[in-house]
Amino acid sequence: MIVFQDVSLVYPNGVHALSAVNLSVARGEFLFLVGSTGQGKSSLLKCVYREVRPTSGDVVVDGQQLSQLPHSRVPALRRKVGVVFQDFKLLHQKTVWENVAYALQVTGTSSRDVMRRVPRILELVGIAHKSKMFPQELSGGEQQRAAIARALVNNPLILLCDEPTGNLDPETSSEIVALLARINAKGTTVVVATHNQAVVDRMRRRVVRLTNGRIAHDEERGRYHVGLG
Amino acid sequence: MTRNGVATTLDWGKVKFFWGEVAQNFTRNVTMTLTSMGTVAVSIVVLGAFLFARESFDSVVKNVVGQVVVAAYLKDNVALPRIGQLVAELRADPRIDGVKYVNKADALADLRRRLRGQVNLNIINTNPLPNAIIVHTRNPADVPIVAGLLRSRPEVAVVNYHSATYEKMVRMEAVLSVIGLGIIVLLLIATALIIYNTIRLTVFARQREINIMQLVGATRWTIRWPFVLEGTLSGIIGAAAGLVVLWAGYRVLSPKIVINLPFLPLNLAAVPVGHLALELIVIGALVGTLASLVSVSRVMASA
Repeated sequence: MIVFQDVSLVYPNGVHALSAVNLSVARGEFLFLVGSTGQGKSSLLKCVYREVRPTSGDVVVDGQQLSQLPHSRVPALRRKVGVVFQDFKLLHQKTVWENVAYALQVTGTSSRDVMRRVPRILELVGIAHKSKMFPQELSGGEQQRAAIARALVNNPLILLCDEPTGNLDPETSSEIVALLARINAKGTTVVVATHNQAVVDRMRRRVVRLTNGRIAHDEERGRYHVGLG
Repeated sequence: MTRNGVATTLDWGKVKFFWGEVAQNFTRNVTMTLTSMGTVAVSIVVLGAFLFARESFDSVVKNVVGQVVVAAYLKDNVALPRIGQLVAELRADPRIDGVKYVNKADALADLRRRLRGQVNLNIINTNPLPNAIIVHTRNPADVPIVAGLLRSRPEVAVVNYHSATYEKMVRMEAVLSVIGLGIIVLLLIATALIIYNTIRLTVFARQREINIMQLVGATRWTIRWPFVLEGTLSGIIGAAAGLVVLWAGYRVLSPKIVINLPFLPLNLAAVPVGHLALELIVIGALVGTLASLVSVSRVMASA
């Protein structure tokens, strides 16, 4: 589903974010991307949704080489790849319902489809009863659920989560990760960048550790720290 | 309407969404929207006032230059049929707009009428004035050519068109026209930059929002349209507000200018006000549209 082929990324300010990364994520897989801040986790995710382009190497998403992807096709890629962030990135002037519907409306989905799909996805993430509220009226966990709903409403093949529990208390973090696991169980490939040790250790899924932009460790059913299994 | 062979109907939900986005852009940050409209209005007032003054001044200059005539004073011994022939030849010339023959008796009567009460012309018992032909050209630039043509005729004694004054006026008209155009270009650039900068601020204030739209897979034009339309509407509404101010100023000030500053060479009545208003609205709309388009494209490119 996602293949990194010898990917290096150097930002214009000279920072080496990724160095010769080779990684393959299968369809339907759940993967934790771990490492402390500044090791390249977010940069790796950004390469998948084409927020940045590798300096060398290539990323293949659903069989499409992103280096060959014209600018005009990036919106189509982003409909296949849902993204969730630590700061939720919800539109404050829209209600929860409107935020989720927005992802469909900007892609030209018919209003009938919008009316059908939005309630269903809000039900799935467990905030259907808050659909008329504005993001600032919700708790952090609820905002993250709204953000996940928005990322999922286009039925993406891949869900990328960049520190999804970074702003949440431990209990809410567990609930969000459990939700991600449920979404993964329905067939969506999920990649979660995190430094939440408790969550990673409890889930026992594939863990890829990045250190200085390189893959330092890659383990099935891994833990946050290597050698503690 | 069909697409890919499948019958589709107009989706009112989509229409509502699109115009809802435009309306939301407008009402979300009222202060910013009013600031950009106000900027357009003030710029349009300055530009409009200058365009108006220039148009009215221009028409005065054109009028003055257009009034220049060539007077050909004929030799006394030229017989009337030959004069008639000369007049007919001149009338056939495409460069010439009007030819008037003034015989010496009429010229004297005219002089008497004009100088009545000032000079006693009864002391003159002969008529010293020559017969004359007054020629008006279609294009003021042809005045010297027609004067030269007349001078070469054996019937003509003297040709007068106040050449020094004429040339000064033509030169002044050219210089004023270039200066006016230069000022208009500079004002237009300044107006465009001021409006662009204000609208850019309103777009940059929504950078986060634009980035989110891009993240959820909105196409470039889906993101641009509401902003571009907002820019167009801001431009039109701002320009209309500017025009209201200009119109009020015109109604209040123009009679006062005419009465109190008679030495100003302005011909306010000659300005095509409707045409000017339309031009200013188009300028407002264009600058608003382009400023939004450039700003939103820059924000999208930086994302």
